[in-house]
Amino acid sequence: MATSDIAITPITRADITGESAWWCLGCGDFGVNSAVQQVIMSLVNEAGVPLENVFALSGIGCSSKEPDMLRVNAYQGQHGRSLPVAIGLAIANPGLKVMDFGGDGDTYAIGMEHFMHSIIRNVNITLIIMNNQVYGLTKGQASPTAHSGLRTASTPDGKKGRTVNPLRLAIAGGAAYVARGVSWQRNELVEIILKAVNTNGFSLVDVFSPCVTWHREPGIRGSGPIFDWYRQDYAIDIKDAWQSMRDQVFTDDERAQLPVEYDPRSPEAALNGLRLISEAAKIGREVTGLLLQDDSQPAMAENLGVSADRAPVFQDIAVESNLDAYKALLAGLR
Amino acid sequence: MAGIQIYGAGRAGDGTNTNIQLLTQTLKDTGAWTFSWKDEVYSNIETRDSGFGLRASDKPIFGPDDEFDILEAFDAGALVDVANEGRIPPITRLKDGGILLYDSTVRLDYPNSGKEVKLEAVQGLIESKKLRVMGLPMGQMAKEQLNLYRARGTIAVGVIAHLTGMADDAILERTAKRFGADSDIYKMNAQALSIGRKYAEEQNWAAPELKVNFTPIPNDQRQIMLGNDAVALGAIVAGCRVYAGYPITPASEVLEFMADHINKFGGAMIQADSEMAAAHHVIGAALAGARSMTATSGPGFDLMQEAISASGITETPMVIVLCTRGGPGTGLPTRQGQEELNEAIFGSHGDIARIVLAVSEPEDAFYVMEHVFNLAERYQCPVFLLQDQMLAQSSYTVPELDPSGFVIDRGKLLSPEQFAERYGDNRNGRRYKRYEVTEDGISYRAIPGTPGVTNFYSNTNEHTEDGYLTEEEVHRQVQMDKRYMQRMELIRNEPQLPQPRLYGDSNAKIGFISYGGTYGPIREAVERMDAMGVKAKFMELRTLWPLDGAGVKAFIDSCDVVYVPEYTAGAQLRGLIQREATGPLPKLKSILRYDGRNMTPGWLISRTEEAKVGN
Repeated sequence: MATSDIAITPITRADITGESAWWCLGCGDFGVNSAVQQVIMSLVNEAGVPLENVFALSGIGCSSKEPDMLRVNAYQGQHGRSLPVAIGLAIANPGLKVMDFGGDGDTYAIGMEHFMHSIIRNVNITLIIMNNQVYGLTKGQASPTAHSGLRTASTPDGKKGRTVNPLRLAIAGGAAYVARGVSWQRNELVEIILKAVNTNGFSLVDVFSPCVTWHREPGIRGSGPIFDWYRQDYAIDIKDAWQSMRDQVFTDDERAQLPVEYDPRSPEAALNGLRLISEAAKIGREVTGLLLQDDSQPAMAENLGVSADRAPVFQDIAVESNLDAYKALLAGLR
Repeated sequence: MAGIQIYGAGRAGDGTNTNIQLLTQTLKDTGAWTFSWKDEVYSNIETRDSGFGLRASDKPIFGPDDEFDILEAFDAGALVDVANEGRIPPITRLKDGGILLYDSTVRLDYPNSGKEVKLEAVQGLIESKKLRVMGLPMGQMAKEQLNLYRARGTIAVGVIAHLTGMADDAILERTAKRFGADSDIYKMNAQALSIGRKYAEEQNWAAPELKVNFTPIPNDQRQIMLGNDAVALGAIVAGCRVYAGYPITPASEVLEFMADHINKFGGAMIQADSEMAAAHHVIGAALAGARSMTATSGPGFDLMQEAISASGITETPMVIVLCTRGGPGTGLPTRQGQEELNEAIFGSHGDIARIVLAVSEPEDAFYVMEHVFNLAERYQCPVFLLQDQMLAQSSYTVPELDPSGFVIDRGKLLSPEQFAERYGDNRNGRRYKRYEVTEDGISYRAIPGTPGVTNFYSNTNEHTEDGYLTEEEVHRQVQMDKRYMQRMELIRNEPQLPQPRLYGDSNAKIGFISYGGTYGPIREAVERMDAMGVKAKFMELRTLWPLDGAGVKAFIDSCDVVYVPEYTAGAQLRGLIQREATGPLPKLKSILRYDGRNMTPGWLISRTEEAKVGN
C-alpha cells in the first residue's frame, strides 16, 4: 500500500462538512450527522487514521443524504443497495474504514437481503441506521420498524403485523457489534459509533432518529413532543432494562449467576441481549445502548485471504510482473 | 476436413461425460483439434437422459456436425424416448451406415436398472439407416471381470480404440501422469481397454473408414478449454482482482475458476447472496480502484439491471460476462440461446453509455478480456461480453495462449503519484472533482485510501462535478452530455472495439451475419455451400453495441440476400441491424433457432433458399 508523504494535519468540522442540509428543521438526523463528524475527527486527529481511508456510503432515504452532509470519500447508491457496494469496497481494500448509512426502510425493507448477509459474512464495516419508523422521503408511510398500531399514510387504521427488530436480527446473525444509539445524546452516540468503527467485523449502530414531520403519535407531533415520546414512552436504556429484568424477571438462581451490570463482552451477551429485547418488547419498549461486542471471529476479508497489507486494489497487475505466474497457471491447466 | 464424431448417450451418473472427455483428450493428445459439448443435459438432479458429443478433426472446429459416426449407447434413452415426453433420441442423428455400440446386458446398478438398451423399438431405423450394430456386454464384463460397473464405459472405449486405431498408451497417458503407471486405477483402465479390444477382435468388428490418422504435434502447447475457463483466465491476466458472482448455469464455471485461482494473485472471489448483490460488489470493488467482474446468465442479468444503471450514472467501470441461454423466466438453463441480446443493449432505465461485445470461440474469449477491461476503465462504463451456452460450456482445443501481449490501460484512473501532481493535498485550489467536466469528456478517477484522496464522491443521484446531489438543469445537462452523448461518440470512434471478421468469397452475393456460437456452424455451412457450387460469405460481429451501422450496411449492400442466424424467436439481432444499419429490409432473412438445440452446418443450409437450388 502506498504510504502518505503528506503529513496528517488536524481536521476541523468545516473540512468534512458537505454542501447542503436536506433535512427538516429539528430532524434527528442532524444529531447523527454531528456525531458522525465528531467520530471522523476523532479517528483522524486522535487515532491517526488518514482521512483518505474513510469511506461513507448510503442508499436512498432521508438518512441516505448523509454523504451529502459530509466531505469525505463516499458513494450514494440506490435504494437498499449500499451494503453490497460496501462489501465490494471492504474486500477490494480492507484498509478502508467503511461507514454505511441507511434508514429503516432502506436497510430493513428493500435492503434486508444484504443486511442479513452482511452480518453473516461479518464484513468489517459499520452500519449506521437512522431509524425513525417511517419513510420520510416519500411522505410518511410506515417502515418495517414502525411500532404496532402506528398510524401513517400507508397504515390509516394503525400498523398491523410484526415490527422488525434489527438488534434481534443482528445478534441472531452473529454480528460483531450491536448497539442502539439515540440522536439526542451526542456524546454517547459518538462513543458508540467510534467503538463500532474500531471493532473488526460487522457493526450495527441503529439510532433512534425521530422524524419530526411524519411520525405522529396520538396528540403528539412536532420536534419537541416526538423526542419526548421517544424518551418517555419508547426507549429504555440498557442499564435500566437490565436492572428491571434482574429485579422482576430473573429467578433467584439466575440473579446469583448473572452480573449486576450488563456486560456486552460476556460470552452470554448474545443470549442476554435477546432476552432483554424480548422483555422490553413486552412492555412496548425498545432497548438502547451497547448490547454486544465480540470481535473474536474472523472478518470476511480474512476468510477470503485478503487484508490491508494484501489488498486486491494494490496488487501489481502489470502483465510483466505476473508473467511467470500466468504461464504456470496455463501450464497447470494443460 | 478429415475427422470423426462420437456421441455418448447414457443417464446422469453413468460417467458418459467422463467417457467422452477421455476420448476427446486422447484425440487431442494425438494431434487432433477437438470440440466436445454437452448435448443433452437436463437442468435437474434426478438421473435423466444425458448426451455428450465429441468431434475431432485435422483442423480447428467450433461446433457440432449434423450427424455422428459412432453412438455409444449406455442406456435405453440413446434409442428411444423412454418417458414418452416428446424427446428425440440421439440415434436419429447417427449417420447412415454409422456404428451403434450398445450395452447388450441388463442394466445392473441403481438408479438406472431397468433402462437397458433394447433394439426392437428401433429395428426399422437400424435397417433404414443401415447401421452397423455392435452389442457389447460391457455392463456384465465390468461387473464380473473388474468388479466395477462404472468401468463399462472404458470397455466401450477399448472397442472404439480398436475400430479407430487409437493406441492404448495415448488413452492411458493422462491416467499414468496423474495416478502413476503402477496405480490401481491405471491397471483397471488398462484392463478395461483390453477387455473391449479383445471382444471387438473376437467379433471381427472393423470400421476401416473411421481410422483416425492425426499427426501428433511435438511439444504440443495446445489445451482443451471451456469458453468459461478462457474468459476467467483472460480476466485474471487482464488484472481482474475481485470477482463476485452467484452460481448460475451456464456461467458457474467462471466463478469456480476464480475460486480456484484468483487469490493466488492477491485477489478475492466473493460468492454473493444474489446477482443483485454480486453486481453491486463489482461496483464497490471498482470504486475502491480494483478491476472487478461478474459473470451471469439471463435471470441473473435481470437482477443486475439496477446495478448497471448505477454503473451508468456513477461512471463506474463494470464488466459482466453474460452467458446466454434460452428464456424467458427460468427458460432453458442448460441449453443454447441468445435471448439476452436486447437486454444487454437496451436494459436498465436511463440512457447509459455502454459497450456490448461477443466472442465465438475460447481463443478470442481469452484475448478479448484485455480490451474488455481496458474499455471499461477508459470509458468508465459497463462492458458486457456475450458468450452463449454452447461456447461457455463446451470444450475446445485451443492454440497456445500467450498472456505476454496484454497491455493494461486504466484510462483516467490516477495513480497516487499522478493524483499528488494534479491536486496536491487537495487544498491548493485545484480540488479533486470526481465528475469534473474535462476537454475530452472523461473525468478523472482516483483511488480512495491513497494519499490526498479525501473527497472522491460518487453518486447515483444526478450530481454536480463534485458528486453532490443536484436537480438543477445546468448540472443535469452538462453531466448527461458528458457521460452519455459525448461518451457514446468517443466509444463509436474507439479503434480497439473488436472488428467484425469476414469469411468466404468476398464476391459472393449470399451473406450471413451473426455472432457468438453460430460461428462454427456458419463457417462450415459456407464451406459446404462452396462445395455445392454456391458462393457465400459470413460477417461475424464482435462488437454488438455500438454497432458499426455503416460497416454492416456495406456488407449487406454487397449481397443479394443476407441470412441472419440467431438463437432467438424475436429476431433480436436482425432487429438491431435494421435499427442501426439498414432500416426494414426484405433481403435480410432470419434463420431462428429457439428450441435450445445447437445449429449445425447442414441444418443451416437447409434453412436457406439456396438449399433448394443446390439440391
